[in-house]
Amino acid sequence: MANWHTRGRPAVLLVTGIMLVVMLFPFLVMMTTMIRDGSEIYLRPPRWFPEAPTLANLTAVWAEYNLFTYFQSSFIVAVGTTLLNIVLSIPAAYAVARLRFPGRSFSLYLVLAIQMFSPVIIVISLFQMFARTGLIDSYLSLILSNTVFTISFTIWMMTGYFRSIPIQIEEAARIDGCSRVQTIWRVMLPVAAPGLVTAMIYTFIWAWNEFLFALSFIKAVEKMPLTLGIYRFVGRWSTQWELLTAAAFLALIPVVLLFYLIERRLVQGLAGGAVKG
Amino acid sequence: MTRPTRSRKIWNQETRLAYVLLAPALLFLVVFMLIPILNVFQMSLFKTDKIGRLGDFVWFENYMAQIRDADFRRIVLRSAFWTLTGVVAKTVLGMITALLLNVPYRGRRVVRMLFILPWASSVPISVMVWTWVLNHEFGLLNHTLRLLGIASPPIWLGKPISSFISTMWVDIWIGIPFMALVFLAGMQSIPEDLYESGYIDGVNARQKFTYITLPGIKHLVIIASLLSALWTFNDFNTIYIMTRGGPAGATDILITGVYKSAFVWLKWSQASVMAVVTFLILTIVAVFYARMYFKEEE
Repeated sequence: MANWHTRGRPAVLLVTGIMLVVMLFPFLVMMTTMIRDGSEIYLRPPRWFPEAPTLANLTAVWAEYNLFTYFQSSFIVAVGTTLLNIVLSIPAAYAVARLRFPGRSFSLYLVLAIQMFSPVIIVISLFQMFARTGLIDSYLSLILSNTVFTISFTIWMMTGYFRSIPIQIEEAARIDGCSRVQTIWRVMLPVAAPGLVTAMIYTFIWAWNEFLFALSFIKAVEKMPLTLGIYRFVGRWSTQWELLTAAAFLALIPVVLLFYLIERRLVQGLAGGAVKG
Repeated sequence: MTRPTRSRKIWNQETRLAYVLLAPALLFLVVFMLIPILNVFQMSLFKTDKIGRLGDFVWFENYMAQIRDADFRRIVLRSAFWTLTGVVAKTVLGMITALLLNVPYRGRRVVRMLFILPWASSVPISVMVWTWVLNHEFGLLNHTLRLLGIASPPIWLGKPISSFISTMWVDIWIGIPFMALVFLAGMQSIPEDLYESGYIDGVNARQKFTYITLPGIKHLVIIASLLSALWTFNDFNTIYIMTRGGPAGATDILITGVYKSAFVWLKWSQASVMAVVTFLILTIVAVFYARMYFKEEE
């Protein structure tokens, strides 16, 4: 390494340190809140660290706040969204990547543009649609509406991966007597696996974190996903922040870990060809 | 004469297969996206009752009513201000973060992972934690500020202006990591020898940034800003969870306006007018983004 850019390193580390404190501040607060007893929440003056740290909140939320039910709902919705997404996206992505047909570039354009739409635009119509068909308070309502907003990213990601596979590999499989479907299933998908995994994780995270649809379509407590379930902790007479932060911590673990797995490919997919992984 | 016929036949076969493969996704999007959007357009031209059933057809009367409404005009302006401020702040702070992360030292990978935690986290959940952080009496932010010698720190979520600043900040905080990562990836694809020749020519750090780094990632800055503009404009979670648009509507933007008009005030035609306006704005930005993206691909 050339030593020309190592000059001024102490300054860099100092500014990095300050910015890190700013970026991590709420997480620090979350950590010191969830390890305190309820009696150490509303203190005047507040305290940064509790006098008697405890892990009791991390177990109490399961028993007292149905955290398991919320986890279960989030999991069902996220897995359902991911599966529906894959089923709809893979054939479409293959068509866009490999076949020539009128309207092909328009459909690519459309897929990218859809990703930009806001759930708020359609949430009122979807609410009416689900109310009419009795889908309010169902996991299906969330799975369907989450899929609308994740399908384009999946198609986009898979199209890119399918395109990067040399056409010769596919032709060889066809000559060996594979049908189109077999070719996609046995040849294309294994090669495009990294893209598929990225898209699946992205969809899972999206559905796990979704709040607006849940807020609008789910009224029954036993069907609520985590985001909405934890939101219900807030706004009563006084919020039990030690429990809320404990639940928040537990809810964050799976998505944060998953996010770190796909973070680099996600940036690449969103910002386009100029970013090389 | 045989060749064109044959190729057309293959082309037909290929086209048919393409449409068959596209059909499920397309059908899904028509039912759950296109029809809902058309429904919103339709609703915006009618009078509606409390559960959103259509009444009389009134042409553009709902639109005119909104344009005459000072609250609506304020919300539109605030949305523009919110988005612009958010994007500029995210770009600047993201750039600083990227420059910091571009300096090699031991433990940089860990620092990078910590920096992007706000993006990795679930937005609704970190926003809920922020409301606790910002609690003016018992929150640890004001406690820390008092320890640092600020005797009476702001009542963050109690007053209109400080509420706007608080929600704005949390939205910015969420958006910085994406910008930083995109810029960082761009910086790392700039060839090292450009910097080395710059070093030989004796350029200083600022010149290095303006003449080598910035031109190298200019295109990425535009793409990331457009994407960020869409996300900022769309940030329902931060505002709704922190303030529900209050106090006294001081933090309402179009996105929260649509939701509240329909589900809180049961004014469905008003909600659909706002949704149509939102749709048009987003479409314009999305088209710009798509064009920039494809330009980059080529």
